[in-house]
Amino acid sequence: MRERLIEILGKTSDPEAVAWLQQTVDEQGKSFQQRPFYYAFSGVSRRFDKKATTDAGVGQLTFLSKTAPGFTVAGWDEFRLARVILLTVLAEQEKDIFLENLKALIGTADLREQVAIFSAFPLLPHPAALVEFATDGLRSNIIDIFDSISLNNPFASENFTDEAWNQMVLKAIFITRPLYRIVGHGERTNLALAEAISDLAHERWAAGRTITPEAWRSCTNFLDERISGDIAKMAGSSEANDRSAAALVVSTAEGKLDSLKDRLSKEIAAIESGELTWHSLGQTVEEQLIRKSLT
Amino acid sequence: MRFFDSHVHMVSRTTDDYQRMAAAGVTAIIEPSFWQGQPRTEPGTFKDYFNSLIGFERFRASQFGIKHYCTIGLNPKEANNEKLAEAVLELMPLYICKEGVVGIGEIGYDDQTKAEEKYLIKQAELALEADLPIQIHTPHRDKKKGTIRTMDVLEDVGIDPSKVIIDHNNEETVKEVLDRGYWTAFTIYPHTKLGNQRMVELMLEYGGENIVIDSAADWGISDPLAVPKTAALMKERGISLEEIEQVTYHNPLKAYGQSGQVEESDWDDSEGIDPAALFEGNTLLRGGMDVETAMSQYTIE
Repeated sequence: MRERLIEILGKTSDPEAVAWLQQTVDEQGKSFQQRPFYYAFSGVSRRFDKKATTDAGVGQLTFLSKTAPGFTVAGWDEFRLARVILLTVLAEQEKDIFLENLKALIGTADLREQVAIFSAFPLLPHPAALVEFATDGLRSNIIDIFDSISLNNPFASENFTDEAWNQMVLKAIFITRPLYRIVGHGERTNLALAEAISDLAHERWAAGRTITPEAWRSCTNFLDERISGDIAKMAGSSEANDRSAAALVVSTAEGKLDSLKDRLSKEIAAIESGELTWHSLGQTVEEQLIRKSLT
Repeated sequence: MRFFDSHVHMVSRTTDDYQRMAAAGVTAIIEPSFWQGQPRTEPGTFKDYFNSLIGFERFRASQFGIKHYCTIGLNPKEANNEKLAEAVLELMPLYICKEGVVGIGEIGYDDQTKAEEKYLIKQAELALEADLPIQIHTPHRDKKKGTIRTMDVLEDVGIDPSKVIIDHNNEETVKEVLDRGYWTAFTIYPHTKLGNQRMVELMLEYGGENIVIDSAADWGISDPLAVPKTAALMKERGISLEEIEQVTYHNPLKAYGQSGQVEESDWDDSEGIDPAALFEGNTLLRGGMDVETAMSQYTIE
């Protein structure tokens, strides 16, 4: 795994910086030393280009997600990848040393360092001991930090309790993050989450506001009277994305919401042709949000 | 005109100050680690303080289109609490190589005690190890002797004077500090340190080479516009624009740029923030900003 990550970093980075990283990895791997490790972890900012993005190939990304299911480095900047590589060395130390140093790093990290640390979680050992760091991190009001834990990161779906998972998904909805990028969003849900989403939707509607249509994905298996009513409301919405979400719920509702099918015939046809999925809806919603924030 | 104020304690300042600084052309600032008016008693409070320097304060400055850097250090006053000092020294390696940390500072002497000297040396060694510039606070009392002693100690550790910025100089210290090859900084401070009319006289005598002007604005009576105001006074007194830019912008950039953590492209290439656009409709703009008045009275006595 580490060799592959270094190879990806090498595609875009200054060869001298990569050689320094390799040397640091070798030295620290042989004999871990706290202070030089801290200097290296922070000092990534002295070696790599602070604005450069990495460029992993499709084959490389496939390898990563097969080796650590759901893990990806797509879109990462060089600092993030270089620091994650260094953390894989810390991961090889004894449990006490590993946890003590990880705690020190998290407790003193700047924004980009925090992002890197949380991004590395799927590659680190002793996940049970890391859960609290992650749930703490999710309390951040800084989007980049919240995203590094919640989006494109399999750690939460694999290690969180239902309570922590629900908190994360609800906050993601609350602050309008792209839910399709939450690993496990389609698979992991429960009644409490579905009810909380419905409650949030009702609060928003009372205030004349809306909720991201992706939210309803977590309600698919919990179509009681109230939530069925919510889906019916979405089916009648003037927003195309709301209708798409309603159709996606209906298409897996095993007959429960058949009465809505007529109203959603166009959307259901798009689902049958494979054109409309939760993933494609998520992408559409995200693109529209980005466009809106630019204007 | 744009300015680089290489010494200003923004955690003690309000958003009004940020607005006025941005409007007056302050583009980049350095916030040295400092004491907070009363002694801290726990290492954890230092951790949170350092975290705010690399975190929230940086963010706050960015909201006004100002690039914020910092130096990390244990100030001399608190060096006298040795148990605390040791713990802070343990903490510092976690911070000193971070993005935007442009030096070790502000360190030096206060009462010129043995403990102060011990931690000055230890921190100078850290600077050497991490290849960082050093920002020196010179003492208020017995300044001349303290300044000379600081330079002696640094040179004993093997520090290159060109990597050290000695701050809070005055007419009594300037010559030796310049002669020994140090960056020589002046804090323009109302009442206590150095008014800017005196600064102009110093500029007329020594020129701009290796000279840096800063505000050191903090929680006491001080002026976050000291650098632009002094520039205005220098212009009025016939000092060349080139020399004014040298001491209020290029020199601090060059001195702290040795860290590799601050360069002109940081603000030249950034898309920047238009404070007016950002705060449109926001209470922050309501009546509070009166830059023209502030700038028309640029004498600091």
